[in-house]
Amino acid sequence: MTSRMSLIALAALLCAPPSFAQGFKPARTVDLVVHTGPGGGSDVLARAIAVMVEKEKLLPVRLQVINKPGGNAAVAAAHLAEKKGDPNTLGLFTGVWLQTPLVSAEAKVTLRDLTPIARLVLEPAVIAVKADAPYRTLAEFIEAAKKNPGQLKQSGGSNTSRDNVVRQLLQKSTGARWAFISFPGGGERIAALLGGHVNIMVIEPEEAGEHIRAGNLRVLAQVSEKRLAKFPEVPTLKEAGFDVPVVPQVRGVVAPPGIPKENVEFWQDFFRRLTRTPSWQKYIEDNQFEDGYQNAAELAKFYDEFTDRMREILKDAGVKTVR
Amino acid sequence: MEILTGLLNGFAVALEPANLLWCFVGVLLGTVVGILPGLGPPATIAMLLPLTFNMNPAGAIIMLAGIYYGAKYGGSTTSILMNVPGESASVVTCLDGYQMAKKGRAGAALGIAAIASFVAGTVGVLGLMLVAPPIAKFALSFSSPEYFALMSLGLALVVLLAGRSIVKALLAALVGLWIASVGTDLFSGTSRFAFGQMELLSGIDFVVVAIGVFALAEVLANMEAREETQLLPVPKGLKNLLPTMQDLKDCRFAFVNGSVIGFLVGALPGGGSTIASFLSYGLEKAVSPRREQFGTGVIEGVAAPEGANNSETGGALVPLLTLGIPGSGTTAILLAALVLWGFKPGPLFIPEHPALFWGLVASMYIGNVMLLILNLPLVPLFAQVLRMPVYVLYPLILGVSMVGVYSVSGSMFDLLLLMVFGMLGYLMRKLDYPAAPLILGLALGAGMERALRQSLMMSEGKLSILVSRPISAVMLSLAVLVLLVPMFGKFNAWRLRALEQG
Amino acid sequence: MEEGTRKPGDLWSGIALAALALTIIIQARQWEYLGPEGPGPGFFPLWYGVAMLALSALLIVSHLRRGYARGNAADWPKLGRAFSTWFALAVSVALFKPLGFVVSFALLTYFIVAVMYRRPLATAALVAVASAGGFYLVFDLALGVPLPVGVLGF
Repeated sequence: MTSRMSLIALAALLCAPPSFAQGFKPARTVDLVVHTGPGGGSDVLARAIAVMVEKEKLLPVRLQVINKPGGNAAVAAAHLAEKKGDPNTLGLFTGVWLQTPLVSAEAKVTLRDLTPIARLVLEPAVIAVKADAPYRTLAEFIEAAKKNPGQLKQSGGSNTSRDNVVRQLLQKSTGARWAFISFPGGGERIAALLGGHVNIMVIEPEEAGEHIRAGNLRVLAQVSEKRLAKFPEVPTLKEAGFDVPVVPQVRGVVAPPGIPKENVEFWQDFFRRLTRTPSWQKYIEDNQFEDGYQNAAELAKFYDEFTDRMREILKDAGVKTVR
Repeated sequence: MEILTGLLNGFAVALEPANLLWCFVGVLLGTVVGILPGLGPPATIAMLLPLTFNMNPAGAIIMLAGIYYGAKYGGSTTSILMNVPGESASVVTCLDGYQMAKKGRAGAALGIAAIASFVAGTVGVLGLMLVAPPIAKFALSFSSPEYFALMSLGLALVVLLAGRSIVKALLAALVGLWIASVGTDLFSGTSRFAFGQMELLSGIDFVVVAIGVFALAEVLANMEAREETQLLPVPKGLKNLLPTMQDLKDCRFAFVNGSVIGFLVGALPGGGSTIASFLSYGLEKAVSPRREQFGTGVIEGVAAPEGANNSETGGALVPLLTLGIPGSGTTAILLAALVLWGFKPGPLFIPEHPALFWGLVASMYIGNVMLLILNLPLVPLFAQVLRMPVYVLYPLILGVSMVGVYSVSGSMFDLLLLMVFGMLGYLMRKLDYPAAPLILGLALGAGMERALRQSLMMSEGKLSILVSRPISAVMLSLAVLVLLVPMFGKFNAWRLRALEQG
Repeated sequence: MEEGTRKPGDLWSGIALAALALTIIIQARQWEYLGPEGPGPGFFPLWYGVAMLALSALLIVSHLRRGYARGNAADWPKLGRAFSTWFALAVSVALFKPLGFVVSFALLTYFIVAVMYRRPLATAALVAVASAGGFYLVFDLALGVPLPVGVLGF
């Protein structure tokens, strides 16, 4: 196994370095830090990026994935903060990097303390029920929830996850009330829905896709601004008559604090080029992500707004915020 | 008939020379990463993932699955030889495995671990082949109340793990529950018992605690005496290094028990090999005629959990391949691999890609045979490790423990925790508190709390949900039975004594 | 130590566990017990905290009710050896940052062989270098598992 692994390294080293116009280019292997262990959502995306970088020869050096799990992303964020000024370390963030410092006093590093680089993808979601459920539309589900307050159930992640945020927003705008049951793993969430132990779920389209095709699940609405290519028939929340803000699940890249401006420019440009490659386009199509590229300045503005909105939503949901 | 043709086609795929080679590479890699603590299957598969892009998907999935089940064969090695559990599922193996090694039966323990792994691993594949759809359905009928009942049954086994004092065993289990609740509460986002440390927000890793209270405490306790001789007796001759016929006979029930429990618990999306290994150990002990000897080095105490751990692989692949639902870190990364190769795991996966499914099943039969052939000759070799003088062996165990902890998370904080739990384990020994209940409480605590709260959320606070569902009611009654049986035993003994005196 | 004799350890560990149980209960009471959505974060800890308090009280009481038979006194030289090993281990972990795993593990091994087991210094040095080198070869070079690195870069 050793020889195999060093073979990859060797092959990568032999790749001729492409020339770059900018003054900065990474001199050693670039670390891409993720907050999950192998197999987690960010880890899978990071490894896919590493493969694309090699395939499309986007960097003169190798990009390797570093797992810093723990503390609901607080450990990974703190690791980046420690690497102050290091131009060869990047972090792949998601919404949880933003939410954890809002609710946990122990998580001291906020996204604001790191250097924004680029936003990459937005992950839409759909609202699904079991195929044999009596609800044909979201409105019917809401009606049923109003008739039996607290009786219907939704399975999802933690109470700061997007699933619960969508529920809170819908509950607030309609006055209906249903229960939210947290499960730690995606597998258990969908198993609870398929087993009929809960009634509804906010689910990623990729995760639901095969169950819809097999006729196990039915989609009532999609949590996105416009209809997704794979669900042309299903109304968005707004089209279904629910004017609530669409909460995106976002993934993007940050760098340690205190890195020079030219490095930021190099990286934001690098990720722009990455998102233009055919491999990337195919990847986000396969996973039904939305292309959400934003450069560093736009990203900084985005997460300020997003943090404020999130804080309010969490407060409405009765979650104590500390920042 | 359909199964037979499927299987024949599967063997046609798996026996292609290239696929045979990938199968061998997979199980070999798996054995290596299984033996070495720390570097587990998820990390290995993640590292190899980029390589598989240029491979034929059948060969790739055969290899990656080989790493997955191959690692479980090797996992018991350090548990038995050094009391260092390399992964959470081999924690239980320490209980009797290391005691066997201390008695000079390390070879038998390692041998039975390989044989039990082979038997149960094969049964797990049989299950995957024959009953995947109904088992998947059964797994879906399992929800929070059933999980709560399952965990309660597991925790009730604590009375079986108790040493002389049941009060102390229960206290240790409660401390385990407490450690399990350190971190961020899933439901509310509240940080509990984090003491201002952000590293504690995601809780304390089970393996760190287990290595601390087992391996470190063992070394510290042994350091008390300045023994100059070698530590453990290792018999000479190959024959004495492998399990005897009597050993195999003693393990008959353990093979069945491990196979069935491992497969069933593995098929549950909220199950996992740790719970499977604890449950089968508990069951083995509960029905054993020599119950009181468990924990002192009985061979079925190794066979049952090792079997369950391996049968769990077949079980865990059921929801993955029939529903696209991963139950653990390793199956999650296998799922990611399938998606990256362009497949869509889900209910239509097997009907649409029969060659891939049957090829995998066939390769798992072949891989398990390869693993048995690969592992049995290693047994006498590994048993020689114990011939080392103690002053070499103990530092080695300390080093393996530290590397095992550090390589999982790369965190210095976890090393500090290891030190704390090493001291805790040592003090518990000195004060006669058994360590196994603490580990059990820790392994089950988080899941148990979660399942209880989920159940009460489902029922709007009515506890009746726990007993009104048949599966859950049966398991809870079993748990009560397990708790009461020793008391009846005591009552009986007291009654007899009273009669005699009267 | 016979069952039924009075072990000082039972008293002290009982008191320590009772204190832990009280801490747990006090902490748990600050968290929601039953919320609008269901049981809160304080629900489960409160219950196991109460159980821990009850059991540790039982331990203390049963200790006090036993006769004044003397338990074995602690064997200080033995405890001393175990504690010094633990302390050496703690020091070597603390040295991972400046010295790296390989060097500080070699030092730990040297200490155990030379001081704890009173082996000749040459043996100790040999064992220390061989085992630290072995770890470096197997984990760092062969498997690519990173070990803690010191300021010197290994």
